[in-house]
Amino acid sequence: MSLDHFQGKNVADHLRDARLKGSYASSEMHGSELPGHLTAAAESAKETAALLLFLATLGAPLFLMVLLSLAWTIWKGGRSAIAGWAKLERLHRVIEEERYEIEHHRQQEKEELIELYRAKGFEGRLLDEAVEVLMADDNRLLKVMLEEELGLTLESYEHPLKQAVGAAVGALIAAALSLTAMAFWQFAGLATFSFLIVAIASSLSARFEKRAILPALVWNLALTFFCALILYLL
Amino acid sequence: MNTPYPFDEFFASGKAETVSPFLRPRSRPWGKNLSLKSSLLAALLLFFAFILSWIHPSASHLCLATVYFLAGTPALIDSLDDLRNLEINIDVLMTIAALLSILIGSGMEGALLLVLFAISGSMEEAVMQKTKSALISLRQMAPKMALYLDKNGDFYQKAVSEITVSDRLLVKAGEIVPLDGRVVAGSSEVSLAHLTGENLPQPRHVGDEVPAGARNMEGSLTIEVTRTNRDSTLSRIIELITKAQDAKPRAERMLDRFGKYYAMSIMLLSLLFALCLPPLFGLPFLGHEGSIYRALTFLIAASPCALIIATPTAYLSALSCCARKGILLKGGAILDGIAACQAIAFDKTGTLTTGQLSCSAITPLFGNEGDALLIAASLEREVVHPISTALCAKVSGQSLLPIRQFKSLPGFGLQAEVELGGRWQTAYIGHADYIETKLPAPLLEKFKSWRKESGPKAAITLLLVEDRLTLFEFEDQLRKESAPLIEKLKKRGLNLLLLTGDHEESAKQVSDSLGLSHYLANLRPEDKLDKITELSKTAPLMMVGDGVNDAPALARAQVGVSMGKIGSATAVDASDVVMLRDELILLDWLIGQGKKTVRIVRENLTLALAVILIATTPALLGWVPLWVAVILHEGGTLLVGLNSLRLLRA
Repeated sequence: MSLDHFQGKNVADHLRDARLKGSYASSEMHGSELPGHLTAAAESAKETAALLLFLATLGAPLFLMVLLSLAWTIWKGGRSAIAGWAKLERLHRVIEEERYEIEHHRQQEKEELIELYRAKGFEGRLLDEAVEVLMADDNRLLKVMLEEELGLTLESYEHPLKQAVGAAVGALIAAALSLTAMAFWQFAGLATFSFLIVAIASSLSARFEKRAILPALVWNLALTFFCALILYLL
Repeated sequence: MNTPYPFDEFFASGKAETVSPFLRPRSRPWGKNLSLKSSLLAALLLFFAFILSWIHPSASHLCLATVYFLAGTPALIDSLDDLRNLEINIDVLMTIAALLSILIGSGMEGALLLVLFAISGSMEEAVMQKTKSALISLRQMAPKMALYLDKNGDFYQKAVSEITVSDRLLVKAGEIVPLDGRVVAGSSEVSLAHLTGENLPQPRHVGDEVPAGARNMEGSLTIEVTRTNRDSTLSRIIELITKAQDAKPRAERMLDRFGKYYAMSIMLLSLLFALCLPPLFGLPFLGHEGSIYRALTFLIAASPCALIIATPTAYLSALSCCARKGILLKGGAILDGIAACQAIAFDKTGTLTTGQLSCSAITPLFGNEGDALLIAASLEREVVHPISTALCAKVSGQSLLPIRQFKSLPGFGLQAEVELGGRWQTAYIGHADYIETKLPAPLLEKFKSWRKESGPKAAITLLLVEDRLTLFEFEDQLRKESAPLIEKLKKRGLNLLLLTGDHEESAKQVSDSLGLSHYLANLRPEDKLDKITELSKTAPLMMVGDGVNDAPALARAQVGVSMGKIGSATAVDASDVVMLRDELILLDWLIGQGKKTVRIVRENLTLALAVILIATTPALLGWVPLWVAVILHEGGTLLVGLNSLRLLRA
């Protein structure tokens, strides 16, 4: 067991991060709230910068854009909080359902556990003892079923309010920079800063999610430019 | 994470975010007291709105809109939920009034209503403990695994829930017995103190029954299971506690009972005024002089700011005062229950007594006493046992005698050679059955006759040194404050009784010492619960206890009071009041505090209603503008708050 493989963490922490990696990789990205207040901030900043660029392209005055930015910031924060709490409520419901299963359908849970661990290569007396140990403690059993059966990872989400603050701060920073630039350098200033914010936000998101940065950066910039161009041409 | 997450705590808290297993630990504090923080922020914004209303009306409106968003949205959700359940209460009245106030240009008054309502509700929630117990401590006390003996004679760990009747288990010294069973091999002593209240560990030999939850003291026991986990002693206690909690009359706050009638009355009156004033007085329906406007004004002016804070401020002040005295109440409504109690049932061991044994008598049966006490203490010093503690305490400060060849026979007694006057003599100390086997022939018959004549004795041990036999008797010490407390409670005219799982002799002794007229002994947990249920039918009853065996009765009584330091965690979980420092004498003060709180809440409600009447009637008749009515109204709120603060004084 080399330290390099576990990157300095103990085995339990490594397993938790591995499951987290798996759940991120398999989760639905379209229209979903990314976990973490930092990624929420990055996404929010990107969207705000793009929105302001589109409005500026349509010729919206600065004052109107300032008012819209305020409302947009509160909207982004509020939406993030609502989505975060909705997700937490769903997760709590899942845990309650699983607890009910353990309390009322114990034998079936035992059979599921046997199957799960048989698939991992446990057999005979070792399998029986492993299952007995897990079945002995309801808390331990619930944790195992949540993680092994449902693929959920405990202690891996940020509080909805923290995510909301991240989203609001991201929107606020993007609005402040873009609109300040517009105040000094008109459309050119806003466009420059908007693209800059989209670039930085995309790069940060890709970095947090451990994806390739260059494709993410270029695709986001291209999409922003393309949308702005459509508005300009129409 | 190597240890399992404490899901029990999560579910016991009602799935609170602060203990959500999905949130990162450092992220959980974000959810702490969220409603209180939100309502305080709303209050601050309302203050700014008020100040800005003179300087910058638009900014004031912005602040006001934020107040309605923060405080109004949760209130609207709760009110819609109540209406969906066809429940018209004071909360619904308050929400309707607050929202309608915008229509008649009194948004500030409406916001004030919402903020006061939000603050009072969130403060109550923040300081009060959850009354419903998930019996975490009792479930944790019950072992999850047991040493199972299979057909080949091998022992291995097996889940308790998988063990069936007739399976054999090994219980080692110091372990908790996992399931009800019968001893098939080995001998030991088991402590049942927290299950039955008996101070002295009981010997268990082959053929004896042992209950689940008993603590095995020195020896090891092999038991044959007689009841599975579902039917075990501990499971039955859990079931008893759960049933008792469900059957317990809900401590409804005075305001909840009164609030429903008040809300309905105000709404009906508003409707009546809106419809009847025009035909009776020739007023128009619409416009600022119209009946609808006046009816709305009346509804808002009658909205209960003072009523809303009348009860929570009183409860909070009372709870705060109790906390300073080391008394923890799990809800404000419990004070109503305390004031209403007409009888108190006490547990004995650990409640009226300290739960510690003391040596009350040393009687030489054969021969003289001599150094019997020193010899006994010298042997008992080698073991951990309540009798050992009592004897060593009695000889504290004296030098003990040297011993050799010490032997402990679990479930029977101790044996050793003691140096007395330069000569080594064999000494035996323990139960009567054990001593009988060691007596020389000439003394055996005399001893048997003595046993027959004296009958069974509660807490004794016997010391035999050659032909000298000495009897040591022990008793549970009364708390110093028990007698003065009983006297004070008698002066209040309360009916007092003793309920104990201990022996009749022990119960009678304590009852006679304290002058209690009624006592019941040898009670199992279900017997205590039945007695409390029976007594509760005639009058509200308080139960004071500390052990697991008291928990069902504590849960069922109108008010359950547990001892925080000596008491078991299960009793603390099941009770409504916890005496954190075990100062039983404060019970009399607590009853006084309960009665004082009820009196002040009644005063607050009367004051609030009087002010509403004085403020709303002139407003309805058009004699004073709305803003004057509201000022009078807020003055009432201030008076109610100040009146409640009287409860802070001990």
